[in-house]
Amino acid sequence: MRIVHYVNQFFAGIGGEDAAGTGPELRDGALGPGRRLAALLGDEHEIVATAICGDDYAASHPEFAAELVSGARERGAEMVVAGPAFTSGRYGMACARIAAAASEAGLLGLAAMHPENPGLGEAAGTSVVESGAISRHMKDSLDGLAAATRKVATGEQLTAQDGRIGPVARTNRLAQRSAAERAVALVLTRLGGDRDATEIPLPDFDSVTPAAPISDAAEAVFALVTEGGFVPAGNPDRLESARASKWVRHSLDGLDSAESGTFESVHGGFSTQWANADPNRILPLDVAREMEREGAIGRLHGEYLGTTGNGTTVADARRFGMEWAAELRQANIQAVILTAT
Amino acid sequence: MVHEVRELELGERTSYSAGRLAVGEQSVRDLLRDPALAEVRLACAAPGDRVRIVGVLDAVQPCAKAPGGGGVFPGLLGPALPVGRGETHVLRGAAVLAAGYLPRAQEAIIDMSGPAAPLSPLGATCNLVVEFTPAEDAAWEDVDAALRRGLVTVAANLAEAALDAEPDAVEELPEPGSTANGKPRVAVVTNLQTQGKFKDVFVYGRSLSGGLPTVITPGELDDGAVVSGQYGHPALKNPTILHQTHPVVAALGANDELELAALVLCPEPVDQANKELVSAHAARLCAGLGLDAAIVTKEGGGNADADVTLKMDRLEEEGISAVGILGEMAGRDGTGPPLVVAPTKATAMVSTGNYDERMTLPACERALGRDRVALLDQPSTDELELPVAVIYCAQSTLGWGRLTCAETA
Repeated sequence: MRIVHYVNQFFAGIGGEDAAGTGPELRDGALGPGRRLAALLGDEHEIVATAICGDDYAASHPEFAAELVSGARERGAEMVVAGPAFTSGRYGMACARIAAAASEAGLLGLAAMHPENPGLGEAAGTSVVESGAISRHMKDSLDGLAAATRKVATGEQLTAQDGRIGPVARTNRLAQRSAAERAVALVLTRLGGDRDATEIPLPDFDSVTPAAPISDAAEAVFALVTEGGFVPAGNPDRLESARASKWVRHSLDGLDSAESGTFESVHGGFSTQWANADPNRILPLDVAREMEREGAIGRLHGEYLGTTGNGTTVADARRFGMEWAAELRQANIQAVILTAT
Repeated sequence: MVHEVRELELGERTSYSAGRLAVGEQSVRDLLRDPALAEVRLACAAPGDRVRIVGVLDAVQPCAKAPGGGGVFPGLLGPALPVGRGETHVLRGAAVLAAGYLPRAQEAIIDMSGPAAPLSPLGATCNLVVEFTPAEDAAWEDVDAALRRGLVTVAANLAEAALDAEPDAVEELPEPGSTANGKPRVAVVTNLQTQGKFKDVFVYGRSLSGGLPTVITPGELDDGAVVSGQYGHPALKNPTILHQTHPVVAALGANDELELAALVLCPEPVDQANKELVSAHAARLCAGLGLDAAIVTKEGGGNADADVTLKMDRLEEEGISAVGILGEMAGRDGTGPPLVVAPTKATAMVSTGNYDERMTLPACERALGRDRVALLDQPSTDELELPVAVIYCAQSTLGWGRLTCAETA
């Protein structure tokens, strides 16, 4: 089978964080860990090309995946294998997205990462196989990925025994009895001593270690970001008032304050009456500018990033967070104020 | 006193006979008259009709007391004094509902036929639909209040038509109290959304916002002590009709092995500190009532998960087995985490399905409420692809529905 292998800028040998903004490209043959993967796969499968993208670029340009998959198709690839991404979040997200994009395009898709990689949720049901936590585990991780590649190539589904990780899709259906009757039955089960019975498995939330405090606010570049449904008046991007599927960015250049009539909140979770009377109370541009003038903060970033946090799924919120982090890192921001509503 | 309604029609005068409810169009219009409303229009939508109702606000089950028997909808129709005793006449199978635009009201849809019909309790009732045009310059709060007063006034008026009719069934509501029958004592803990204008629920006509949990009886619910003014999160909302017919209260009442010991209403505060206070207080209240188990329900998405899961944890700490009923928000493909805030001690949860899963609603003949579905910018009668989240009460955690979610085999 003709395979395209995906790696980030680091494993392609282009560079580290300094090169994380590298755009997508395809290079002939196997590269970096792909060489070892090709050797493990033997003659049966061929890595015809390596797809590469910088982690920040991939996180902030989701279309990189479709672009690389279409390049892979042009080279006659039937399968896209990505990673291993270990616990690296942006790399994991990129691997999951390109594997998902391959599936969507009718190719086979497979990614490898550690079960705690926050990018795992982006795989949208496409196969992901477990890797080690850090690149020191490359050898074992590639053994697992090669075995999984062979199995997926035959058209078979990976199972937990093959090291398949990631959430299994949950789908809606009608139960025999109403939720009220099932709740009463669950009370009886529970009182009978069964402490495990449930219809909803407990979700496994990752925790984020806060970054170290900035040493000198007067030297730092600050960005304002918000989940308060803060948009230019008229909502040109049609940002949703609930269940947001996207985020928006708009320039703050030349603005001293978020004036009523210039900005508004489309958040559906609270009464926007006071927010719209003074949009600075959602995005504190007036105070931030004052502090900038006083020299209390170094400089305010020229744009804000925003979405609506109302009925948002954890998966979408996590994706927005990773994309924002990549954007802000690329813009050399040292401090971020996230106003929540 | 249950009077079944199987047919609904508009007519000259209001009458009820043998399952047939005729609605006197002019008299009902008069009952809805209010300075905040320029015009109201009435329509019927019955199960099986190729009708879609868009922008559904509240829905109320008609109920009334015989003369001298006290009032219904206390705090709105009558004085805010305790109700819940004596006989109440209800028109089961009928609902009075309002549909149209209000600020903050997320677009709620009922299909009277097709795949979405069985997901909504209002897909199975004969609905008197009130459409409205606000008066010029009327404040939206006044429009909302006029609709709320109007719906309960009409609901009471329609049920009064059945006061002299022989009931189809006589049902006794469970009467919580201290019994020494040895059965496990179970509470129903029902969270009411309290997020201000257009997102509030009224108990005796007052918001529970800022307050602490309180105990009421199933009889009070039946008499309309809880009236909804909450128009967010269509699938997860609990309209007045579901409070009147609280499915968990009914299921516990029908169970021989368990004793319905208390019904606790709690606000859903908007900040974490108050969510924790209300949760701890509700658990203390349940402990004080000597309970063995509690079923916790919620209203709304996202942050309202915390109001359920915090209570479940506090109840477990008090030695009370807690079961939560929750909707899932697992993303379009169902692979995301199902809850926003998970319990840390309790584990027993019932799922009312994944909010984000898409479904296709076939085109229909007639739309009521709103001409266009703003969410998709499509005519309301079109074939629509929408998340379950917009189907009115499809995931109500008061437990009416059969929708659930499980791992794909």
